[in-house]
Amino acid sequence: MNKSGTDIQFAICGSAGDGTIASGDIVKRAAAAVGFHVIAFDVYPPEIRGFGKCISRIRVSAEQAYSLKEKTDVFISLNDSHAIPHVGEVRDFGAVIYDDRSIAPIREGAHITAHIRPAQIPYGLPIRQISEQATNAARSRNIVVLGYMAGLLKLPSRPFREVIAAKFATKPQAVIDANIRAFDAGLEAGRKVFRLDDVDVGTVPDHGGSEAVMMTGNGAIVRGFLEAGIQSYFGYPITPATSIMERLAVEMPKQGGKFLQTEDEISAIAATIGAGFAGSRAATATSGPGLALMTEMLGLGVMAEVPSVVVVSQRGGPSTGLPTKTEQSDLNLAVFGGSGDAQRIVIAPTNVEGCYRCAGMAFEIAETYQTPVIVLIDLYLSNRYETVFPSHENTFAPKPRKVPELAEGEPYKRFAFTESHISPRALPGDAGMVHTVTGLEHNELGRPGDGDHMRMNAKRHEKLISATRYPGLTVAKRFGDAGKVDVGILGWGSTFGEILEAMFEAQDAGISCSAMKAVMLSPLPVDELRAFFDDCRTVLVPELNYEGQFANLVSGALGRPVVRLNRTVATPMPVADILAEVKRLAAEADSPERIPATAGVGS
Amino acid sequence: MTEPVHHVIIGSGSAGFGAARTLRENDADCRITMFTMDAIPFYQRYELPQIFRGRSDWRDLLAVPPSFYEDHRIDLRRRCRVADVDGANRKISLSHQETVAYDRLLVCAGGRGYLPENLTGYGELIHGFGSFEAAMQTYRDLPEGGRVVMIGGDMVGIDLALTLLDTGYGVTLITNSQTFWPHELGAEERAPLLDVLRARGVTVLEDARAVRVEARNGGAPARCVTLDDGAQVQGDVVMAFCGLASSVEFMLRAAVDIERGLLVNPQLRTTNETIWAAGDVCQIWHDSEKAYKFYHGWKNVRVMGELAARNMQGANEVFDVDVEESIGIGEDGEIVSTFWTRGN
Amino acid sequence: MNKRVEPVYLEDKLQEIRADGHLKYRSKSLPTWCPGCGYFSMADGLTVALNRLGLDNRNVVTVSGIGCASRFPFFVNTYGFHTLHGRVLPVATGIKIGNDALTVIAVGGDGDAFAIGGGHIPHAARRNVDMTYLVFDNGIYGLTKGQTSPTSALGFKTSSTPYENGDAPLNPMMMLLSYGASWVGQAYAGKPHHLTDMITAAIAHKGFSFLRILSPCVTFDKTDNTYKNLSMMVRDLPDGHDGTDMMAAMALAMQDGHPALGVFFQAERPTLAEVMQTSIDRAQQASAT
Ligand SMILES: Cc1ncc(C[n+]2csc(CCOP(=O)(O)OP(=O)(O)O)c2C)c(N)n1
Ligand code: SF4
Ligand SMILES: [Mg+2]
Repeated sequence: MNKSGTDIQFAICGSAGDGTIASGDIVKRAAAAVGFHVIAFDVYPPEIRGFGKCISRIRVSAEQAYSLKEKTDVFISLNDSHAIPHVGEVRDFGAVIYDDRSIAPIREGAHITAHIRPAQIPYGLPIRQISEQATNAARSRNIVVLGYMAGLLKLPSRPFREVIAAKFATKPQAVIDANIRAFDAGLEAGRKVFRLDDVDVGTVPDHGGSEAVMMTGNGAIVRGFLEAGIQSYFGYPITPATSIMERLAVEMPKQGGKFLQTEDEISAIAATIGAGFAGSRAATATSGPGLALMTEMLGLGVMAEVPSVVVVSQRGGPSTGLPTKTEQSDLNLAVFGGSGDAQRIVIAPTNVEGCYRCAGMAFEIAETYQTPVIVLIDLYLSNRYETVFPSHENTFAPKPRKVPELAEGEPYKRFAFTESHISPRALPGDAGMVHTVTGLEHNELGRPGDGDHMRMNAKRHEKLISATRYPGLTVAKRFGDAGKVDVGILGWGSTFGEILEAMFEAQDAGISCSAMKAVMLSPLPVDELRAFFDDCRTVLVPELNYEGQFANLVSGALGRPVVRLNRTVATPMPVADILAEVKRLAAEADSPERIPATAGVGS
Repeated sequence: MTEPVHHVIIGSGSAGFGAARTLRENDADCRITMFTMDAIPFYQRYELPQIFRGRSDWRDLLAVPPSFYEDHRIDLRRRCRVADVDGANRKISLSHQETVAYDRLLVCAGGRGYLPENLTGYGELIHGFGSFEAAMQTYRDLPEGGRVVMIGGDMVGIDLALTLLDTGYGVTLITNSQTFWPHELGAEERAPLLDVLRARGVTVLEDARAVRVEARNGGAPARCVTLDDGAQVQGDVVMAFCGLASSVEFMLRAAVDIERGLLVNPQLRTTNETIWAAGDVCQIWHDSEKAYKFYHGWKNVRVMGELAARNMQGANEVFDVDVEESIGIGEDGEIVSTFWTRGN
Repeated sequence: MNKRVEPVYLEDKLQEIRADGHLKYRSKSLPTWCPGCGYFSMADGLTVALNRLGLDNRNVVTVSGIGCASRFPFFVNTYGFHTLHGRVLPVATGIKIGNDALTVIAVGGDGDAFAIGGGHIPHAARRNVDMTYLVFDNGIYGLTKGQTSPTSALGFKTSSTPYENGDAPLNPMMMLLSYGASWVGQAYAGKPHHLTDMITAAIAHKGFSFLRILSPCVTFDKTDNTYKNLSMMVRDLPDGHDGTDMMAAMALAMQDGHPALGVFFQAERPTLAEVMQTSIDRAQQASAT
């Protein structure tokens, strides 16, 4: 973000039992309530119980940021042994808040003060003691630190109190009171402290009255689904998609929707396709391993031309892989997975707002093209929070269905060849159009037979082309410098946030550079991509997988070379890595003997 | 492989910093850890009056950039209070219950601003100047053109007073025995110096003793100091500059001799073989005078730190007073003192 | 047991067939099964059953997996979904949830059901999805030309067990009873009238009904599940069998060497749709307050 004004990243690090994530949650909600933009991402321990490490990172800004920052401005340790490896992420002259007492003797180097770098500002306070004094328990340490931080940075305290009260609303009043007391005690301590950091809180942006909603990517998917009137959901728990099903389990029945936890992912997609066949707006959500199980069924969805919506939130792979770490290595599976030429629609939003829009539109797209639509996200996007300003009118709700019309005596052809390659679809219950669909190759009537295989393959591919022009859907978008540039950064999915940050920094460094996000990965928006390639001397494709799955896809489709930047570091793509590569490429672009990347390749 | 020698330094002022730098210069491999209560890396306290000249970013006051410590592998541990030194087992305990073992220890914890006993009950109402934070707080609380009531007026205070006058503030000085500390002056030596201050615009109150400090609610000026004769002096800020008291309380169990400060031999070693001391915290044996003496002033302090460091690394140098302390009036009619960096 | 066989005159039979109207449930496609395959009687049985129940064909969906048996939907004039090998039940479950007004009939072979699809049966059964599952059990893989199946007898020689099958066969009746299916019955392709009655009863049952239909694969099994052998093996239900008695049903199921024909067990319990409606009611009540 190369904007001025507020841009603070908070990080709270502690163990699972410390209320670390809850504490971060309060920060993000309070910041959003004030009117700031928020983007946040929590890191959980792989083990569910016990005292594993949790980190909640929250970037609060005047303008919507696109990714977390590499450097944190304000860091809070609720547990030094967990926090010590991370305190290095605090920027120079940023703040480190920690407990300056210990309840038991500790060995040399085990206190965070041993690891705070000379340029970072230490703010020690007796967190536990303050909590105990305020509430008779150490439990509210996570709230004390929030008060302290609010006091230190002179943040408005009311939104914090309101969010705390709301957070504990289901608890007895005494619990709410105790937490408010803990907050106030921390606040008082923080207000007394002389600030040495240079964290600039700035002023609150004006949104002209529109209300921010704090959502994770998964939460946005759920909201999009609900607004689209999702009628059936089938799912099997898998990190990082589980929270989608858990939220839908609560919300869907409220609007009459039917929710089922199936026995596995095969059943989940099978039932989704079954419900889709019956005319229901149906979806499932999974991660890579589940998608691997689903691929055979997706092929059936393609072949039988049945709409379905599948959200795939990627995590580290292959196999069970890195269940709690983000990665972008299921693109191949999403785009190509399964047997045969099974072209389907894959859309990959790049931020939380995109998750909301893609999920909301996915049903209509699936119904229009009578095929599976995969919404491809990843753990980073699933779990990160952003402020979204949802539209007031619901544009995702189903439009009235058109029942196919038949001339007298005309047989109903479920797979009729048409100009748009889309055949009018009847649903069970429709009179006079009884038909059977099948995963076998078939003729226009749906009867098994090989004779039309080539034409049917063409139909199934061609019908999707117009999806790249789907009204209201961003399939690709260019940012940064217009016209010819030295370096173009092409990205997809959650990594695009880091790409934009890197692009802004490169521009600040005087590099002629622009970035493009590809949202539709199948079918590829080749026109937009080609135009981008035409304008860029070099195209860099950063992505979180080992081989460059998107790079392969694009360079294969366009016949143009790309420069790959691949990381499988179990974290989001470091902005610095992208920037370094952009700088290297820009320097090469300046050297006279350099051959342009597009030389010799016809377009 | 043998463990590198671990040098621990308590204090990050002139002496401590000079010692750490010297240790590293002479030994690339040793471990150096510095403990300080400060939140800020080493800066010259003598520069603090500069805040009133607009240098209010602490980073401008740093002697070296923060990266210096990392580049020189000096573990600078800030906001750490040493609770106890176990001289027999060569361990220090920090107030957060962490224990750190050392091979050789250098104590240069300096001193704390001394407050006359009869005023200790008014600490909350008296602004400090012992740290950047305290100085900044004073700067912020002092309205433009406001007045400081200064009790005592040691050389740090006098320096501040002159700066305040230069920058448009008023100063009322209530003198006491610590005025011009650490210079020990008779009445006749003082008189011309006070005259210089008067000439510069300081309101000097001699032969008076502050007995009470009060906050004046809502009203300006914000403070009122009552003198022993019942007279009242008003100002926006009250400050005490009455010299330093050595910070030695954490050394009580260290098995070293202590009088007012840590007693060291001319090599700056304490009575414990592995503990040295330097700066305002120590009293050095003066063989000719057969007495332990404090040596203040920034140059002396720095020299002490460096010398102690060399001795910790096996040298056997004797501290020889670098600058005999002196104060007087220069040709331009201004006060000159060896204590000050002014004019250096 | 010794019933007299009545002569059947073709002309009478044709008239009877036309008059009864079940032909409207037959599709125009001619079945691709081998002549003599037991599956023909099932197609017939289903169409008669639908006719008897007076169901409108546009509100019926026949769903199947993959196999000879699973070709079934093409031969009946209802909506149909010929899905994937082993996946008939989850697709059928989705269809039923997607539109509860539909009558859903799931069809598959023994391999489709108990081998590749074996994991889905317990869940459809315990959830009591209101549908009918017809398993055409020929103890062999017909479509892939004669390999062993989970219900093949010990010692059976097939193209994949050339040295005799050594894997103990499953007992589908015991499985379904223990899975909690609310209607469990058995029929035989060689007794088409009984089969038709059973299909009718299975469809009429509210909840998950499982009907195992023993059927010969005339092409790839010349030794084991032949009409001759099956006709000798099958028995009527013992007199006075109590279809609500799970212990009695289990005892019956254990005698797999002499398969009994009829309704082993039948119970009334909430269907998945009813359970879901309860959730919906609770959720709406909770959010209303
Ligand atoms: C995933 C998958 N694996 C294997 C097959 C091949 N296949 C088709 S039908 C079948 C077995 C059929 O046996 P059964 O279910 O008993 O049906 P029958 O043909 O005997 O009626 C097999 C293995 C397939 N279509 N799909
Ligand atoms: S192969 Fe067997 S099961 Fe398949 S149609 Fe022929 S006889 Fe029937
Ligand atoms: Mg079979």
